[in-house]
Formats: sequence, structure tokens, C-alpha cells
Amino acid sequence: MSDPARVTGTYYELFNLPLTFELDLSELGRRYRDAVRRVHPDRFAAAGDQEQRAAVERAAALNEAYETLRSPGRRALYLLNLQAPLEEEATVQDPEFLFQQMEWREELEELGERADFAAIDAFKKRLASFRKEVDDEFAQTWQDPATRTDAERLVRRMQFLDKVLYEVGQLEERLDDF
Amino acid sequence: MALVQIVEPDTPPVPGQPRLAVGIDLGTTNSLVATVRNGQAVPLPDNDGRHALASAVRYLKDSSISVGRDASQCASCDPFNCILSVKRLIGRGVEDVQQLGEQMPYKFSAGESHMPLIETVQGAKSPVEVSAEILKVLRSRGEQALGGDLFGAVITVPAYFDDAQRQATKDAAKLAGIKVLRLLNEPTAAAVAYGLDRQAEGVTVVYDLGGGTFDVSILRLSQGVFEVLATGGDSALGGDDFDHVLADWIIQQSGSSTDLSPSEQRKLLRVACDLKEALSQAATVSVSYAGWQGELTRCQFEALIEPLVSRSLRACRRAVRDAGIDIGEIDAVVMVGGSTRVPLVREQVARLFECQPLTDIDPDKVVSLGAAIQADILAGNQSGSSDLLLLDVNPLSLGLETMGELVEKIIPRNTTIPVSRTQDFTTARDGQTAMALHVVQGERELVSACRSLARFELRGIPPMVAGAAKIRVTFQVDADGLLSVTARETRSGVEAHVEVKPSYGLSDEEVSRMLEDSLEHAEDDRRARGLREQQVNAERLLETVQAALQADGDLLSEKERAEVDQQLEQLEQLSRTDDQGAIARQIQKVNQVTHEFASRRMDATVRRAFAGRQLEEI
Repeated sequence: MSDPARVTGTYYELFNLPLTFELDLSELGRRYRDAVRRVHPDRFAAAGDQEQRAAVERAAALNEAYETLRSPGRRALYLLNLQAPLEEEATVQDPEFLFQQMEWREELEELGERADFAAIDAFKKRLASFRKEVDDEFAQTWQDPATRTDAERLVRRMQFLDKVLYEVGQLEERLDDF
Repeated sequence: MALVQIVEPDTPPVPGQPRLAVGIDLGTTNSLVATVRNGQAVPLPDNDGRHALASAVRYLKDSSISVGRDASQCASCDPFNCILSVKRLIGRGVEDVQQLGEQMPYKFSAGESHMPLIETVQGAKSPVEVSAEILKVLRSRGEQALGGDLFGAVITVPAYFDDAQRQATKDAAKLAGIKVLRLLNEPTAAAVAYGLDRQAEGVTVVYDLGGGTFDVSILRLSQGVFEVLATGGDSALGGDDFDHVLADWIIQQSGSSTDLSPSEQRKLLRVACDLKEALSQAATVSVSYAGWQGELTRCQFEALIEPLVSRSLRACRRAVRDAGIDIGEIDAVVMVGGSTRVPLVREQVARLFECQPLTDIDPDKVVSLGAAIQADILAGNQSGSSDLLLLDVNPLSLGLETMGELVEKIIPRNTTIPVSRTQDFTTARDGQTAMALHVVQGERELVSACRSLARFELRGIPPMVAGAAKIRVTFQVDADGLLSVTARETRSGVEAHVEVKPSYGLSDEEVSRMLEDSLEHAEDDRRARGLREQQVNAERLLETVQAALQADGDLLSEKERAEVDQQLEQLEQLSRTDDQGAIARQIQKVNQVTHEFASRRMDATVRRAFAGRQLEEI
């Protein structure tokens, strides 16, 4: 495994993992824990200031790499960026998904008013299964430059789904607070 | 010539000569110091054999300061000068303190940077200074027990402490002359103590209900890495609140006046606390107060505290969600803090987590024991790769104030630390050379609903056309959970100078000033240090001379030897006394008396070497 103390290559190279979208998360976790044991600032607690500062930076970089690869949405974005920089501001046309987005937003609002935990759970499950489809499709399309636009569209969908799931979490928290 | 040993600075500890390190639990009501001895974490007692040090500081008219039980016992008779529960104040602002007002009878004034100062008979004291007094006692206890200067300490803080509270704790340690190896979250410390005990991989929940704060942490132990999955809590909820609820009930039942003097308040809280503790053992307890007598059943008590316990469970559920796990994945639940002895708390926690809580390690000591273990590791006393590594998270989201007084989150809560995030900014006006960033902590969207952390002023941006500069700001949270900000204009590569104006903290100058003040007043401290140093010097000298006598004692005549032995014995006896001056003088005497011996030894060594060379040449 490449030296975890120097984050020069890609996040994949850092963990010595093949460059694919599908990832064995438990293997990633194992390699992460192995690496962080060596670079964490706690290993340098008795060392000088310079070494400690450097350790903080290295560990932060390692954590960032792990966080990115761990989340499918961030991983997808990362992979696309590796191939060619993604323009953050560009709007991608995705009319059919737009409709789905509006439906989900409405449903979320209704759930907010009803405080029905079972319904929220069912909603989450539906989102999760839709998410799986998007992930699978992305795995097929991201590497081929010919299907780049499709891949970008899929990444946007992932981001939207992440956002909705986050908002569902917020809703659950709000409801719990009563 | 005196016999001298030279040791190089910063050499790794020699096996058998570990670095002296301790773990400190700086609690709201009680504090402890512990260390690892012979591979076992043990709490260090005071001269009376007690482990807990009451977190009470009393400022007396004669300029002396009393810390501990004596101070806490005077709380009723001298309420303004006996500072209890200072942990509730550290790192907080004047407004926060006003909210706690009724619970804290002290006279407050506002210091610089919104820090509340407590008016005492020795002048205005900041919570940082008060906490430093507690830490000084613990440090001295550690040094006495371990027989030398401390290399450093791990100090625990509630997981839910924000940046200001953490920084203030570090400042207090600095004032007390302690090198902080790590600020460790209390639940993580408890998990370490249990984790090592049980050596089991899996998911652990730590439910930590201290006197003044509630923390819940969810951790996973795997491959020797203790990873915090999520942390939550309520920094204004604690066992003390149970006492207050009972106090209110007593007032109500007894028909007593609610207008109590501070010392009456303290007395009432004492009665309430005793009542709470008694109800953990008995189903019905009788209570008397101000001539009134009554009875309280456990059932009634539970009804009274139920809303508080509920609040803690809500924080628990949020942590479980944040951790992204199901309740079924939880393997163990650990209880920390004296108030977890209350039966209702144990029942409800067991029900929520579907797991019987572990309590076998004393819930009052477990945090300091975990801290001691971590201190031992960080001091380098344990061998490298088999160490446990603790990966903690930031408890509160960090955000920046943006247009419209909204918050944009830069680092979400429960992100593994250390963490580093960058954000690009640009200038709004032509020639703009400075920029201000307001960093807040919290989960809400409005700046006013979050906690102001600090204002960072970036200066030295090269003047350019508006919008041309690209300023990359890096937000870094270190392993202690403290934020630092650096900024660089990427086109020119110029590093901006960042000035931090903490919202509720001490500036570097304030800390330096306090350090100087404390040194002036530290006559006793200095004298104690001086004495200890002389005693150590005496011990070392005795060892070296005795070793030299073993090797080359034959270089002395009988009479000379008798003289040396006599002076050594004197030194040994004096080293056990308090008389610093006498010890120093006797050290001189021993050096004088062994001066001749030392030169003879040197001659003999040279002769031996010379003889050796001659033999070789032949």
C-alpha cells in the first residue's frame, strides 16, 4: 500500500483499491483503519510541534479520502472529476427526473404535517430502491466518454436523493423533539 | 569536580523509565486524577486516601485559596467566595450566565470578550482561573504520587463542549502549568476504560450523565481503532437538575419562601441531593426542611424527573440516527456519572437500547481511568502498533455567516477529526485587502440561533479588481476539536494573516497576563516546586555517589570513607524533610567531601586507559 502519510495520488491509490464505482465498503474500512493508525496525530503526541501539525494535515487528508469514497454520491462525483472536471454551475437537463423531484417534495411536505413515522419509513425505503437503480446505472456509464452526459445526469440525481434523505432525517428529528 | 549525569532532552523513554503522564477528569462536581501503573489504570488519592477532589474553589480574605472538600463545605456560609460547578461557566458568555442566574448565586461582572468574571474577596476571577486552581491541585497530586514532573496530561471534556469551552479548558491547563497531551471527550474516555476491559469488538453506547452536562456517544471498536460514529448531548442538562427539581418540590410542599439567600439555596440543594441519592436505595424516604417534614416515594420522584430523562433519551435517538445504525446493532451500553445510579435512568436507557447497561467500573472513576490510559499511550509509554487509536468527531456543525444572517455549513457535525475543508471567496470591492469571516457552531439555519465561535479577520490580500482575487480559506479542526483557519490568495500565492477574535474566550495576551499574575502569587507553588527539585537532586546525588563507591571505594582511606558515609547519611535524612535550604546546603557539603574522590577516580580511569594503550602498542 502506498505511504498513507503522503496523499499525492488519487483516493483509490491511497487505499490501493481498483478504480471502480462499486466498492467493498468493509474492505475500504479495514484499509482506512490500518492507515489512520499510522498517521493520526496521537502517534506524534510526544513529538515536536512541526511533526504534530504535519500529522494533523495528513490525517485530515486521509479522513477526507475515506469520507469521499464511503459515500456513493461523493464517490461518483469524485470519479467523474478524475476523468474531467465537472462544472458545478452547469444545469443538466433532466425533465423526467424534475417531475419526480416535485412529487417527492410534495410528499415530504405532507409527511411533515402528518407526523406518521411508518409513512416516513416507507418513503425512505422507496427512495433507497430508486437510489439503487441510479447507482447501478452509474456504474455502467461513468467510464465511457460517450455516455459522459448520462453519467453527469445520474450524479445530479444522486445528489438530489441525498438531499431529500437528509431532509427526511431533519424531519424525523423535528418530530422527535415534540 | 562533582559527579554529574547528563541526559539528552527528548530521548524516547527508557524501558523502566516511563514518562510521567496522568489522566484528569475535570468534573462539574468532582474531579479526579489517575495514572497507569504496572499496566493498570489507577486513580490517585489525596493524603487522606480520597480519590475525588470536590470541584470547589474558595477565595479567602487572607489571599489563600482553598480547593476541594473544605471549600465545598463552606459553600453555605460563604456563598460568594466559594465557587462550585465552575464547569458550567467555562467558555460561556455573560448572557449564558444570566440564564443560569438563579442556580449560581455569584456576583458577576463582564470581562473583556464577553467573558463573565466572578467577584470574589480576592478580586474578579474568570472561570478559567478558577478551573486552573483545581487543576493545580490535581497536578501536584500527580507529581507527588509519581515522584517527578509530569510530562503531560490528558484532560477530559464533555463531548458536547463547543470550541470556546474546549479552548478555555486548555487555557486553564496552561495557567496550571500542565501540558495537554489531548483533550479527550468524556464518553470516549469511558469507552476506552470499558473497551480495554472487555477487549470486544462491536458497537458501544456511552450514556454519560454528569452533574452539569449530558453526553451520549456511539462508538465502534474494530482493529484496535475506537471510532466515534456519533455524539450528542445537552450541555445544560445534568444530575444537578434532578436536585433542582426536588428542591422546587420541597419548597412547594413545605410552603417555604422562594426568596432564599445564597447560603439557604445551598443548604436546600444539599437536602435535595441527599434525598435523590436515598431514593436510589429505598422506595420511600422521609425528608425534613426548615421545620417541615414530609415523605417522597420513588414513584413521585420519577414523575418529577421524567421530563429531564426524556430529554436525554431524545439526544440518544438523534445520536443513533446520526450514527446510521439500527438499535439492534448495539452490543453494549456503558453508564457514566453518579446520576446514572437513579433507577429510572437505568430502566429507560435499557429499554431504549434493548440492552442491560454496564456499570461494573465505578461510574464516578471510569472517565479518569480512560484518560489515564490514553495519556499513557500518548506519552509513548506503550509500544507502537498495538496501541488503541481513538478517532473522535466534532459534535457541532461549523458554519459561516452568509448574506441575510444565514449559516452555510462547512463542516457538518459528527465528521471524523482531524478534518480540513476549504472554501473559496472573492472580494466585493476593488482594492479590497481584508475580509472578515464569522464562524458559528450549531445546527440551525439562522446565525442568531447558533453559537458564535469567533470572527476571523484576513488581512494582506493583494489589492485587485473586485472579484479577481480567489481566496482559499482552510478550516481545520484538530484532534482536540479546536478550529484553526488559514487563508491564501491562490493567484498570487500570498498567505493572508488571520487574526482570531474569539467570541467567548481569552485572547493570547489575556492568557499571558494571567500566567504572569499567577506566577507572582505562586509563592507557595514555587516553594513546593523548589523543595521537590532539591529532593530529587539529593536522591540523584546519593545514587551516583553510592555507585561510584561500589566501583572505586578502594581509592579512599578508611577515615575518608567514614567522612563521606556520614555526609551521605545526613543528606539522606534531610532529603526526607521540608527544609529546602538545608537540603541544598547538604548537597554542597557532599560535593565538597567527594571532590577529592572524584579526581582520584578520573586519574585512575586515565591510568587504566593509558595502561591499556601501552599493552596494545606492545
